[in-house]
Amino acid sequence: MGEKELEFAERWRDNAYGCFSSGHKFCREVCPVMQVTRNENHTPTAFHASIVAMEKGLVEVEDVADDFVHCTQCGACELRCPNTLFTGDFYRHRTRTVDVVKAMRALMVETGNEREGWKLWNERLALDHNEPVLGDVRVSQEHVADWADGLDIPVGGETILFVDCEAAFYRTSYTRAFAQLLQRAGVEFGLMREQWCCGGPAAEMGYQDLALKHATHNVQDWRAVGAKRIIAPDPHDFIAFTEDYPKYFPDDYEFEIVLGVELIHDLVQAGKIELTNPVERTVTYHDPCRLNKRKGVHKAPRELIRAIPGITFHDVDRVTQWSYCSGGGGGLPIEKPEITAEISRRRVARAAELEVDTLISACPWSERPLSNAGHEANIGVMDLFELLAISAGIEP
Amino acid sequence: MSRTAFKAAIDDHVLAELRAIIGDDARVRPDRSSRAFRSRVPAPFPVHRWAEHFPDVVILPRTAVEVSEVVKLANRHGIPIVPRAGGTGLSDGAVPLRGGIMIDCKLMNQIHEIDLVDRTVTVGPGINMLKLNEELKKYGVIYPDDPASYPCSLVGGRIGTGGWSLLGARFGHTRDLVISMEVVLPTGEIVEIAEGGGRKLRKSSTGLTLKQLFTGHQGTLGITTQATLELVPRPETEFAAFFAFDDYMKAYATTGILTKSGLATLAGVVLFDEKKIEYLRRDDEAYIPQPESVRAVVAVAMYGRRCEVEPASKEIMRLGRSNDGKYLGDEISAGDWASRHDRYATPLHGRDLDGQAVLMSWHCEDAALNYSVLPQVREEWHAIVARYRERYGIFDDWGMFAYTSGSHKPWADYLVEIDVGIWEQKLNDENWAAWVSCKREIAQVSLKYGGSITACHGATREGDAELVPEEMGSAWPVVKAIKRALDPNNIMNPGKQSLDEAYE
Amino acid sequence: MSIFRLGDQTPPEPRRITDTVIERLEHQFEVDPDLMQITPQQDMPVWDSRRIFNARWDHLDWMHAHFADEVLLAGELSETMPEDHS
Ligand SMILES: Cc1cc2nc3c(=O)[nH]c(=O)nc-3n(C[C@H](O)[C@H](O)[C@H](O)COP(=O)(O)OP(=O)(O)OC[C@H]3O[C@@H](n4cnc5c(N)ncnc54)[C@H](O)[C@@H]3O)c2cc1C
Ligand code: SF4
Repeated sequence: MGEKELEFAERWRDNAYGCFSSGHKFCREVCPVMQVTRNENHTPTAFHASIVAMEKGLVEVEDVADDFVHCTQCGACELRCPNTLFTGDFYRHRTRTVDVVKAMRALMVETGNEREGWKLWNERLALDHNEPVLGDVRVSQEHVADWADGLDIPVGGETILFVDCEAAFYRTSYTRAFAQLLQRAGVEFGLMREQWCCGGPAAEMGYQDLALKHATHNVQDWRAVGAKRIIAPDPHDFIAFTEDYPKYFPDDYEFEIVLGVELIHDLVQAGKIELTNPVERTVTYHDPCRLNKRKGVHKAPRELIRAIPGITFHDVDRVTQWSYCSGGGGGLPIEKPEITAEISRRRVARAAELEVDTLISACPWSERPLSNAGHEANIGVMDLFELLAISAGIEP
Repeated sequence: MSRTAFKAAIDDHVLAELRAIIGDDARVRPDRSSRAFRSRVPAPFPVHRWAEHFPDVVILPRTAVEVSEVVKLANRHGIPIVPRAGGTGLSDGAVPLRGGIMIDCKLMNQIHEIDLVDRTVTVGPGINMLKLNEELKKYGVIYPDDPASYPCSLVGGRIGTGGWSLLGARFGHTRDLVISMEVVLPTGEIVEIAEGGGRKLRKSSTGLTLKQLFTGHQGTLGITTQATLELVPRPETEFAAFFAFDDYMKAYATTGILTKSGLATLAGVVLFDEKKIEYLRRDDEAYIPQPESVRAVVAVAMYGRRCEVEPASKEIMRLGRSNDGKYLGDEISAGDWASRHDRYATPLHGRDLDGQAVLMSWHCEDAALNYSVLPQVREEWHAIVARYRERYGIFDDWGMFAYTSGSHKPWADYLVEIDVGIWEQKLNDENWAAWVSCKREIAQVSLKYGGSITACHGATREGDAELVPEEMGSAWPVVKAIKRALDPNNIMNPGKQSLDEAYE
Repeated sequence: MSIFRLGDQTPPEPRRITDTVIERLEHQFEVDPDLMQITPQQDMPVWDSRRIFNARWDHLDWMHAHFADEVLLAGELSETMPEDHS
């Protein structure tokens, strides 16, 4: 057992024993990966037990490295865990499975147990400063704001719109719709001078130095343009800015972070965006994990859908959706694309049971795998902002 | 020759045979992590001797034929087999004692058939009840096996343990809700086990009633690979009411009154003692602000049609108050009933001798006892735990519950639970031995009062297993004869429940 | 809309409820931190405490709805607690 392993076990043992001494597996059936693989190695219970086992010299990093790839960091398990849901707030001591997975992945990188796909992905991130979301086509700073062509968005200002890599290069319709909704409401905002990846995905895959480097760059860029508030439409960025960045810069993080969907919700409520065009669709809503489970945001998107005229909404409650996921998070699609595809296939099948024509999501990372699955099941996948833009009469 | 199963080294040859049977190397797992993480369950675990409980290889079968071929192989070579479903069992049933092949049935989680005419659902043993009921909801039916582990235990394990359900007074327990099953015997044959014949018949007198034999055997007689289960109409109305008492005996008397009420929609009555209330006061927002005078609680729940439940609820309110009971209010009644699955194993409720919060593991004693003996047993159990707590400082008394336990007959039988916290991180051989003897003393009290060591978890853990022959008494030779007849080489979950004696 | 500001994430000073229980956020009890000397507490921002609290109640509602179409209650206040608590 190397020093790094022991240090790691020491750091996480207390949290691990919280689970080890319960071991009841309330987390198992809400886990999207477990629902597909049914392999106990992939349970949070096993993740926490591996820390205890490591401390006792029973397993080493290489024994569990593949297990720890099997996680989308959706947060379902740690929320459903009674040690969080029932007593986490009381004791200020909750189950931290997502943190443990990130830390173990970092240890994998440090001990030479990194995964090939993630390694390549992050090498390209280091090179281009945005994630290689276009596959063989390289992304670059030169094109990071191409999505905004013709929208006349300035650079800099007090309010900055941060655009995620997936949304800047791949699902650009989402980003355009969001920016145009803000413009419609008369919100003043600008873009960064140089917008690097938020660093969240790198941290999720265990590349902590790279994540910190990107975070540092972004914060410097914000300061340089005098930013006070950052709008994050993408839930993944919102998590990075409200959970990772405060840990990186605990004494020096003055920004206000605003979640896109809540901002739009306020603007609609205040009558600044009018939803006048009927949308004749029968829809259901996919609770993005990072909104619903990890942040408890579930009301605003539903109220927005209900505010669209002409729409028929077959909702599934947020608690049922703790066990839903697209499989698109936590780097899973890079290493285990077949599991991501199966998670999305099942998610779309649930939508199909409701006899809807459209599945609405509110997270660009979910929309790629869900759209692929939707294509096969003949169900359209749209982003909430795209739908709202249509109803507001915005030309793409 | 005496046939006690042994820890077999699984050699390359056996592994190759297993891979040939399964045909998918990802489902034959001899790797360290697969073995390490399937060697324990939530019950207190001798963590200092963890490695002794590793299985040698884990198989994740998809079909009964695969299970059958693996069992035949094991039987040929004399290799132990340990079935595992959810791994939530509280008495180590799914913990290997002698290594061997673990058959983990979680991939067998299909719903094979929903029959709304004859009211059955046929499933694989790897399915969870909550998940099953999410599917059944749209048909207006429910499979009402509702243990506190409802969100995490699986049908195979429910059958393996002969589980107890919180709603058993109304709907029956696992064995009443399983109509028939497909079982792989220790010699590898695949057989249909029911009351008589008839996969969907609830009652038959043909031959021997084998179904009960194959429920609650803890994987010592075979592996269930498919089960046909009862469907009941989804309840229209739920009613719950909690009553507080300033004295245990008043609460006890009220429990008796309620359970003898004859109300058919009564699903469960639960009696919490003073120590349990003390425990709940550690974090539960419902109990923290309660006055000192709240020293015992009785909870009642009913399920059924509104036209039945509504008038019955009035009677429950009257009976609940008839012996000085005070209603705890709607909010607590609703909230605490809905949290019935989640408030058991709270590790941070562990308190050391100085009152500091420490992470403790949960032991759940689950004796089956008659109503008449509850007060005496309560006193003796608490005294035992207090003695061990005082001496070792690593145990904590988390209080007692008594739950109605007779299927459809709630009046006389109780699942009586004393919950004990155990500071696992402090375990060494001496402390573990102390725990086992504490456990044994608790079980001996149950036997002394004409009870049974276990109403649902099974007598498969140290401290219980040794007492099985005593509890079975004159029937023990019958048990041994059956075990030997069905499992001639003692390969099925060997070492459990003193069944090795069958081979002496 | 909830705007995240790091400065807002430290919980307010506690109010004592019992010997072993305090309250920092409305209706949300917490253990007396003095009891957590062996098991250290985590740094838990206000949003996270609230998230857990809200999720708990949503989960309980869900559990009722999972088992029956409707919940019937006696419709009466607590007989053990003063009115403002029940
Ligand atoms: C928080 C909590 C609350 C609980 N509350 C209750 C409760 O209210 N009522 C109750 O009854 N139990 C309760 N339990 C205990 C446990 O959940 C039950 O014993 C349950 O039946 C075990 O199911 P499992 O799927 O986890 O089985 P496992 O633990 O995997 O196995 C249990 C036993 O069954 C055997 N087995 C597994 N699969 C098969 C199969 N296919 N064929 C034959 N044998 C098999 C195993 O070898 C083992 O002996 C609780 C546990 C926890 C953690
Ligand atoms: S993560 Fe939570 S729910 Fe899952 S086994 Fe551990 S303690 Fe239990």
